[in-house]
Amino acid sequence: MKILIVEDEIDLQETISSFLQEEGHVCEACNTLDSGLEKLEIYEYDCLLVDIGLPDGSGFNLVSELKRLHPETGIIIISARNSIDDKIEGFDLGADDYLSKPFHLTELSLRIKSLMRRLRFSGKKEIEVGKLRILPDSHEVFALDQPVILTKKEFDLLIFFTSNLHRVLTKESIAEHLWGDFADTSDSFDFVYSQIKNLRHKLLEKTGVDYFKNVYGSGYAFNTNDEK
Amino acid sequence: MKLQNKINRRFLFLLLVVFSLAGVVLYFVLGYVVDVNLDEVLRNRADKIIRTLKIYPEAIDSSISLDQSIDIYKIPPTESYRIYSDTIVFDSSDNEFIDCRKVTFTTSAGSTYYKICITLSRLETEDMVQLIFYFMVGLFLLIILTLFILNRLLSSSLWHPFFNTLFQLKIFRIEQKEPVRFEETSVLEFQQLNNAVAGLFQKAQTDFKNLKEFTENASHEIQTPLAIIRSKTESLLTGENLTSGQHQQLQVVYKAATRLSKLNEALLLLSKIENQQFAEETEVDLSALIEERLDFIEELIELKKVKVTRRFEAPVRININLYLAEILVNNLLGNALKHNIEGGIINIQSEKNQIVFSNSGNPLTIEPNKLFHRFVKQGAGSESTGLGLAIVAEICKNYRIGIGYEYRDKLHCIKLTFNKRENKKTI
Repeated sequence: MKILIVEDEIDLQETISSFLQEEGHVCEACNTLDSGLEKLEIYEYDCLLVDIGLPDGSGFNLVSELKRLHPETGIIIISARNSIDDKIEGFDLGADDYLSKPFHLTELSLRIKSLMRRLRFSGKKEIEVGKLRILPDSHEVFALDQPVILTKKEFDLLIFFTSNLHRVLTKESIAEHLWGDFADTSDSFDFVYSQIKNLRHKLLEKTGVDYFKNVYGSGYAFNTNDEK
Repeated sequence: MKLQNKINRRFLFLLLVVFSLAGVVLYFVLGYVVDVNLDEVLRNRADKIIRTLKIYPEAIDSSISLDQSIDIYKIPPTESYRIYSDTIVFDSSDNEFIDCRKVTFTTSAGSTYYKICITLSRLETEDMVQLIFYFMVGLFLLIILTLFILNRLLSSSLWHPFFNTLFQLKIFRIEQKEPVRFEETSVLEFQQLNNAVAGLFQKAQTDFKNLKEFTENASHEIQTPLAIIRSKTESLLTGENLTSGQHQQLQVVYKAATRLSKLNEALLLLSKIENQQFAEETEVDLSALIEERLDFIEELIELKKVKVTRRFEAPVRININLYLAEILVNNLLGNALKHNIEGGIINIQSEKNQIVFSNSGNPLTIEPNKLFHRFVKQGAGSESTGLGLAIVAEICKNYRIGIGYEYRDKLHCIKLTFNKRENKKTI
């Protein structure tokens, strides 16, 4: 997938870019509004990641310009300004998602993948991972064609992991993804552990494969073992 | 009391004193003038009698009394004298005493000596004093009436610009973008007032705007480096080539960065609420919102084996910014869960105009009245920011929601009280 990143903070831009490249995306990056507009004129992208506070103007201009040029391109706003007004304005202009800084890269990856699934009506709307077939729209999961009954949170967790295959997801990012503001509840890591334990157990029971791997104690990774 | 009434009251009091003094002075002055006049009349009569006696001494004998008020006595020879004095005479026809002026003197005609008393009634003087009194009272009443009418006219026309300014002050909202316009006035004091108020408004608005910009810029400036720290450590943490010692240290950095970013967010939120940057309001059903948030954290509740009971007797609807309402509920529920004990309980009860969140938990180690202060935490090493309840309190203050804490039946109770009429954003 071809992604344009418009972010003036070079370090952050590089971090996002290298992370997404590891995911197999093609990334281009620029750090000003002008260069962003120029790239949008010339090339076509699947997805635009844009910061609002750019040195030479507001990222909102880029959003409205892109909507005019290529309305089918997905837009995710990444901004440090976690204000409702900005969110509303962004969505009004045609942005598809809004992520406030600081965010977990794994969360970004998830948002991009679900955005792509939503936008590509012609493409596959299913996720196939190992022996699992996931239908995000209907919230159904099949293991070897047998339905797996998951709670809403377990399903969210599965989508989060399958959007970040083979990557370690930290406990913090998982807790934040599942419970947002409630993530700092003192023992939320125990909750993460128990959620993953349940999910792991359910999938193991149906497929006979243990997909989850505990990494150092800092997080978990979802591996499709059948390649090994 | 109205300023004009206050002024009038003082003015009238002073006027009363002045009028009384003037009345008294006038009384004495007039009395003196009248006495001088009467004495003059008396002297003339006395002189006339003396002259008459000198020419026709027998006239006295033939008619002892020329007038009712003249008494003439024959006396043995004596030194001559003349005395003016006040006296009271009984008037038998009217059956009353009459205040009079009298002259007593002696004279001689040949070898005969006479003592003569002439009295003149002062009745006219009394009438005059009475007249002065009535005139004064009448004038006083007339002045009061004039003042009353004047006030009516003044408050409707002269004071109008002042009340207009007062109205502008009342409706002024610091977040409004357009400048405030005052009515033109020709009164210098009101012009000065309007200029001062307009200057104040403008300064407040500029300061507010600057503060708002600063808040947002600070957020941007701090969040971006934090985002870099977090994502870099995150990618290091999820990498493969780290020793377990390095991994642990990195984990600490990652956690600290996460906390810092949460703290920053919470502080920004607090200052935004304080600056009343959430102007938009909708009617929010708090009980429905609570249900929804409880659903969201269902697993967290289950895992801690906390039993939640809720009893909503009536839906609690208030006018509030939706985002702030969510934060309010999130923080209260998060608080009730975070400080709960394994297998504890959470009770949420709503009545007409109040909601009570109560939860089991260890007794407070901090003073209850500091519970809603910033950076007050239960247990020093706690992971929480210590801002959750401060944010709740700030939101409540903003929307005039009463908030109180008590420890009852081993439960921590936080009570929100809504006053329907007063649930309006402070201006």
